[in-house]
Amino acid sequence: MKAVCWMGTSKVETLTVPDPQLLNPHDAIIKITRTAICGSDLHLYDGFIPTMEAGDVLGHEFMGIVEEVGKDVTNLRRGDRVVVPFTIACGSCLFCKKKLWAACDNTNPNAHLAEASYGYSGSGLFGYSHMMGGYAGGQAQYARVPFANVGPLKIESDLPDEKVLFLSDIFPTGYMAAENAQIQPGDTVAVWGCGPVGQFAIASAFMLGAARVIAIDRFPERLQMARSLGAITVDYSEEDVSVLTALKDLTGGIGPDSCIDAVGLEAHSSQLQGVYDKVKSALMLETDRPSVLRQAIQAVRKGGTLSIPGVYGGLLDKVPFGSAFGKGITMKMGQTNMQTYMRPLLERIEKGQIDPSYIISHRITLEQAPEMYKIWRDKKETVTKIVIDPWAENRV
Amino acid sequence: MATMLNEKPNAEELPSTGAAGMILDGRYLPPPEDKDGKIWIRTSALIQAEPQNLYELWRNVEAAPSWQEQITQVIATGERTSHWAMESDGKTIEWDAEILADEPGKRIAWHSIGGDADTAGEVIFEVAPGGHGTMVTVLQEFRMGKLTSAWETIVGRNPKQAVIENLRHFKALAETGEIPTIQGQPNYDRGMIGKLKASTYGETVPTPSGTNSL
Ligand SMILES: NC(=O)c1ccc[n+]([C@@H]2O[C@H](COP(=O)([O-])OP(=O)(O)OC[C@H]3O[C@@H](n4cnc5c(N)ncnc54)[C@H](O)[C@@H]3O)[C@@H](O)[C@H]2O)c1
Ligand SMILES: [Zn+2]
Ligand SMILES: [Zn+2]
Repeated sequence: MKAVCWMGTSKVETLTVPDPQLLNPHDAIIKITRTAICGSDLHLYDGFIPTMEAGDVLGHEFMGIVEEVGKDVTNLRRGDRVVVPFTIACGSCLFCKKKLWAACDNTNPNAHLAEASYGYSGSGLFGYSHMMGGYAGGQAQYARVPFANVGPLKIESDLPDEKVLFLSDIFPTGYMAAENAQIQPGDTVAVWGCGPVGQFAIASAFMLGAARVIAIDRFPERLQMARSLGAITVDYSEEDVSVLTALKDLTGGIGPDSCIDAVGLEAHSSQLQGVYDKVKSALMLETDRPSVLRQAIQAVRKGGTLSIPGVYGGLLDKVPFGSAFGKGITMKMGQTNMQTYMRPLLERIEKGQIDPSYIISHRITLEQAPEMYKIWRDKKETVTKIVIDPWAENRV
Repeated sequence: MATMLNEKPNAEELPSTGAAGMILDGRYLPPPEDKDGKIWIRTSALIQAEPQNLYELWRNVEAAPSWQEQITQVIATGERTSHWAMESDGKTIEWDAEILADEPGKRIAWHSIGGDADTAGEVIFEVAPGGHGTMVTVLQEFRMGKLTSAWETIVGRNPKQAVIENLRHFKALAETGEIPTIQGQPNYDRGMIGKLKASTYGETVPTPSGTNSL
């Protein structure tokens, strides 16, 4: 089959690899009909995530048709149409029982690698480094899905793929971010990052009762999208704009009730801070660039909540923890507990409350994927979300 | 009777001695130190299954190859004795083992009785505090010998890590009926460095089959 492979930092190629096989009794093989590139994949492309190895198949947002199931898969059959969550969960460990699916104990075959670096291992993830399981990803024509009785969500209506594909990661991620923000009816919520995760966090914040959402980014088309959802936007790259001042101005001086960091470890920063973090990470004294996290801690109101869906990978420097302590804020974060959100969010899509396909900016073939990684990373085109049809032939 | 705290609605009675020497008179004790050519490993896992079922899975020595790395065959040679074979890269090492203590649903202790291994261990199954599953604790000692060096050199795991991994496999098998693996999945050619890395990641140690006869 054809698959998008990570071949080194800034090096992605579409290559021919063997088709996946059933390896365990709860496996399924999915013929992929649509798959996407995620902001998280850019962290891999940029070499921020350790234990990626040349030859690894990328991709963790995919859906398709069940081709084959293992002998212990009872709820799926050949021909079923499914969306696959990016976190792999067993359904029976202590964490799965607590519905903390992303913390599953039994799905990372390389748990010892994660334990050696972090002291614990979370669930296995598709296409996201050997430390996170080393599972081949879904930017390919087929994928092997372990614990298929727990993860994949069956789509029984005739909704097009594009409307349900994002149930595989970013819609639940944005939704959980809003839920983690502990929004009370009438609250003001600030969201850093208007990428796909930020977009769904904004939409979800409104669905969960926010009166006002303030969205922060620098790309006009993303800010425009946020405004069309009903948010007030702040362009942090504009000269004279201070995000902290803007958030004070817009909240009568107290700061937002909740802040959502939908940017994560590769935050861009136009000020001195950016230089500071660049030097520090070049010297390996810090691994992440937490400029948004710093801002969000400073901005949130006393006793407010900070929700962090943006990914952090390691050591953070100069995080104003004294301010967090002094204000008595709550912080909630983590990989998305996918299986909790997929079905209820599918219902919202079916009821017409939201059409997640609005964020798609590019529709491409597998062959075009390597070029698209580069274009997106270099912000050469206005990219919001890239969807791949793995069976489409190259249009020239 | 202490009177300074009279309200502890969910507190459980403290065991006077904990599994594998972990608690003594209310104090936590660290695992034994490696010395005199002996190495020790103590590790535990919280498993969502009944102590009795876990005991049975562990006690079924002939099923050990389905969850213990590199064990190719175990034959019960008597009520309490068994013959073990471990193979890697075409080399086989063999030894006999004897069960010293067998307390159904609670504890199994064993030692090797000749052959290429010099090891002894015990596994303890206890209901976890609050009934949050079963705490399985393994304490094992090895004397450096053929078994330990086979583990290190051929298998690419030191014996301590192997005990930890085996308990992890045991838990996965008990909780889910399979052991997670990525061996046999597609990837593009990794090249020389990638192959070396796979071995340092432990990915070249075959995942036990996980098919369990229970
Ligand atoms: N928690 C999870 O389970 C989970 C799942 C999916 C994605 N993520 C993470 O969420 C984050 C966002 O994902 P995405 O797909 O939307 O990525 P993306 O790269 O498309 O979007 C990030 C946005 O942040 C903006 N940004 C950068 N610096 C900023 C700053 N200083 N202030 C305000 N905005 C800034 C960028 O302009 C960009 O629009 C990533 O870190 C991703 O890894 C987490
Ligand atoms: Zn994603
Ligand atoms: Zn689990």
